[in-house]
Amino acid sequence: MIGTPPALAATAGGSLLVLAILAPVAGILMSFVLGGRFAERVALGIVPFGLALAVAIAVLIGRSGAPIVYNIAGLPPPLGIALRADGISAVMLVTAALVIAAAALYARANFSTPEGVSEARAPLAFWIMLQAIWAALTILFVGGDLFNLYVALELLTFAAVPLVCLGGKPETLVAALRYLMFALFGSVFYLLGAALFYGAYGTLDIVLLAERVRPLPAVWVAAGLMTAGLIAKTALFPLHLWLPPAHANAPAAASAVLSGLVVKGSFFLTVRLWFYVLPALPAGAVDAFLGTLGSAAILFGSVLALRQPRLKLLIAYSTLAQIGYLFLIFPLAFGLHPWTMDGWSGGLMQTLSHAFAKAAMFLSAGLIAESLGHDRIAEFAGAGRAMPATFFALGLGGLSLMGLPPSGGFAAKWLLLRASVAAGQWPWAMVMLAGGLLAAGYVYRILAPALSDGAAVLKAPPQRSREAVALALALVAVALGFAPQSFFDFLQIGREAAMASP
Amino acid sequence: MTGMLGPWLLFFALALPLGFLAACLSGRLRKPALALQWLAPIPALSAAILAIVGGPFSFEAPALRLSLSLDLPGALLLATASILWIVVGAATFSGGRDKPGERFAVSWLLTMAGSLGVFVAADLITFYLVYALVSIPAYELIVGNGAPSSKRAGGVYMAFTILGEALLLLAFALLAAGEPSGSLRIDDVVKALPASPWRDGALALLIAGFGMKMALAPLNGWMPLTYTAAPLPAAAVLSGAGVKAGVIGLIRFLPFAAPLQGWGEALAAVGFVSAFYGVAIGITQQNPKTVLAYSSISQMGVIAAALGMALASGDAGAASMVAFYGANHVLVKGALFLAVGVAATANFPLDRAPRLVTAALAVSLAGLPFTGGALAKLAVKPLFGGGFAAGLANASAVGTALLMLHFVGLLMRTGNRGGQAAVPASIVRLWRRIALGAIFVPWLLYPAVGDLSDSVTFAKLWDGLWPVVIGAVLALGLHRWGSRLPRIPEGDTVVAAEAAFSASFAVGGPFDSLDVRLRQWPVASLSLLAIALALAAMAAYGG
Repeated sequence: MIGTPPALAATAGGSLLVLAILAPVAGILMSFVLGGRFAERVALGIVPFGLALAVAIAVLIGRSGAPIVYNIAGLPPPLGIALRADGISAVMLVTAALVIAAAALYARANFSTPEGVSEARAPLAFWIMLQAIWAALTILFVGGDLFNLYVALELLTFAAVPLVCLGGKPETLVAALRYLMFALFGSVFYLLGAALFYGAYGTLDIVLLAERVRPLPAVWVAAGLMTAGLIAKTALFPLHLWLPPAHANAPAAASAVLSGLVVKGSFFLTVRLWFYVLPALPAGAVDAFLGTLGSAAILFGSVLALRQPRLKLLIAYSTLAQIGYLFLIFPLAFGLHPWTMDGWSGGLMQTLSHAFAKAAMFLSAGLIAESLGHDRIAEFAGAGRAMPATFFALGLGGLSLMGLPPSGGFAAKWLLLRASVAAGQWPWAMVMLAGGLLAAGYVYRILAPALSDGAAVLKAPPQRSREAVALALALVAVALGFAPQSFFDFLQIGREAAMASP
Repeated sequence: MTGMLGPWLLFFALALPLGFLAACLSGRLRKPALALQWLAPIPALSAAILAIVGGPFSFEAPALRLSLSLDLPGALLLATASILWIVVGAATFSGGRDKPGERFAVSWLLTMAGSLGVFVAADLITFYLVYALVSIPAYELIVGNGAPSSKRAGGVYMAFTILGEALLLLAFALLAAGEPSGSLRIDDVVKALPASPWRDGALALLIAGFGMKMALAPLNGWMPLTYTAAPLPAAAVLSGAGVKAGVIGLIRFLPFAAPLQGWGEALAAVGFVSAFYGVAIGITQQNPKTVLAYSSISQMGVIAAALGMALASGDAGAASMVAFYGANHVLVKGALFLAVGVAATANFPLDRAPRLVTAALAVSLAGLPFTGGALAKLAVKPLFGGGFAAGLANASAVGTALLMLHFVGLLMRTGNRGGQAAVPASIVRLWRRIALGAIFVPWLLYPAVGDLSDSVTFAKLWDGLWPVVIGAVLALGLHRWGSRLPRIPEGDTVVAAEAAFSASFAVGGPFDSLDVRLRQWPVASLSLLAIALALAAMAAYGG
């Protein structure tokens, strides 16, 4: 038997990856079987396990300084399917676990099965779909095979769409259908691309493809189709038609997961595709194109956020803008240049800090809407005094979006700015600064009326524990601003090999 | 002596205010922490005195990526800023009856932490953090009273502040890129700046960013609005200590070691324009707080001009001299804002002594002999040389005398202005001591930068006196014919800027309709297809 190449060989700790996927999957099955009010208990019970597994995976990778690889059924690719977790997988797993945990704790007040009823539609659907999203994201972050990743991508979409229309109102159904249809278009594009890869190289394993890929017509078309499909699912401008209504109409806990995590799933896959499957392709024009779309998203999303009269729509359009920053990673981190380290760290820091900051903001917005009975910004006068902790969490999230220190958003912007200065790619720097100013504008638009004097009438004061959940997420976004160098070294684990291969 | 003590004092200069802040998280500790927050600058003051007496020191904590250092320029400003925060804070927060609300008090604490921090921060990231702290929470100090005028002032203040932050962020990125070894220490990046390929861009952004904080013309519009709207104690600390964040910024980030003639002269020109512009608009104003704001614009102009001259000639020793000038301004301007409140009390017009010290305090800014202002003027005089610049500097002293006498005249005439001009009772009670302290504390600091015995010669006294005399004659003229001057709105150019800002909202409409169009199914589907094709084509041909 021929020896397995080192990148394909299984490593210690592989079973952790399997367990990380199985935990939420087991939760889904148990929720179906037990049903009713048990779905909530199962989901909440699974959370600490999933979180512990994610942390364990991160610790193991940090200790060994190398990715964890697991070959399903012991067969290395191309015969078998591999799971691989590198530095960025690990931080995304931990981020997903934390945001899901926060959303679950927050959602207990909205989605507990009422007394005297054995089963209610919305709670059951919420808890099952939440776990399904978690399972899908976990596979996305550790999947080593493009078809495997397609399945995860589909699962993610099918789990996310129902969350949009849990309320059951007509407009939420319209929003969910839009989301479903466009996400399916994206899936088709991705699947076509994957098929082309398989036809050309006979494998869909990321490591094997990276070794074999050559600039051929099939690869060009595959890359174009898959990338377009993925950015449609990420709602990168101008393919954002579904995002604002979907994220603004979903219940707050769901919006937090959708905006904080779900769009990051397809973005993560775009990064995998270009940095891990196609590093051999000359990508200058593609990178510039993706950076341009990202820049347009930053400016366009921020201006529209400035114009929204309702808080949740404002935050949804701000997501559109913040997604734009993510795509600056392509021009600023591709290839081996003195600045690509900063570009890579900055792009991932933006991914993480936006996940926490935006989740915190949506949860706060939910509390505000519940307590005031509306989320019309113009009528926020006095609300800051009535619910200070909620607005504090919202403000801290906003701090990160604006890119002011101390926050992960600042760290991200600082690194991306340094990279674009060092690379001499000025347009991105200008767009980032303009985006920061516009973000300051829309955060000011929320906070200035809320801090002004007025008699806000609360229907009910927000629960302390739910405020604490939102605040904890916002504080994580702030704490990311203090990430030490070793954290950025961790993000590089598994990347050198990918960048060095052909 | 400074062996271990200095670095730890430096650490606590930043850590103690943040400790007070942490205490505010606990419901039980919040009230005492906010009431006693005026004690928080004590380590900063001690560190400053130690550095003035015993030389510079620094504190490094690589694990926290924190580096702090204190040299003579920083120490002079830190000493006076700490004194101002302690005095005004004690009067404001330990008073019994009408103490400000909690949100105001927490914002005060945050602003104070930033204000003390900017003088000791030694690396780019720490500096940017404390600079944001001294700038952004001050919003609440300005709008605290909830009046519509203060809402407008707060909005304008935030716009300028955020724009300044953005300019500085890019400037810092350029500074970092110009440092070959990757160090983020301020002294390293500034040392590398003259040879950096991004030198001109970085300098332009630094001057614009810090110039906004100092309200140099034409970026001055926010300052009159802000100081007029803010409650007096807040105006006192912001105009005295807060603004010096811009001064220390220029001192720290301009590369004085190598002469940069073009940039130096440009900065000097901006400074002189501000110095005269502040006077010219200031004398048309009728609200004493607004007049003080314009005086600040003028004084910051003098500081910028002095730094510009030093930059043009490559004078590394200038930093301490300019810092001394700034340190004097910290105390005097802080005290003058309090004077507006003291003058509003009932017995001020009846009592001659407080009126006299108030007038002396005001005119000291023009260099009245035997005041701290005279020493400040003496300290920066060599920087202006003997030619045209020296003439401009003297003319600006005349202008300051005129403006300050205009201010004194307004104080004497306007009398009781009610709630808008309230200061804590203890300030009124101790007013004579506070004013005399502001006039004479600079005498204690001056030996660090010059020779005191040299400062009381007849020639030097005359130097200080004649601009005041001319200013007084002009002030009489202003008193007689001032009503013919045009009435310029407070904030002058900002009115046009606000109109332009409102007009820019019209841009939003087309964005809305573009959004509607892009989010139609046919358009979105075609976009998806086009993007896929474009990406494939680029993967094929784009190298």
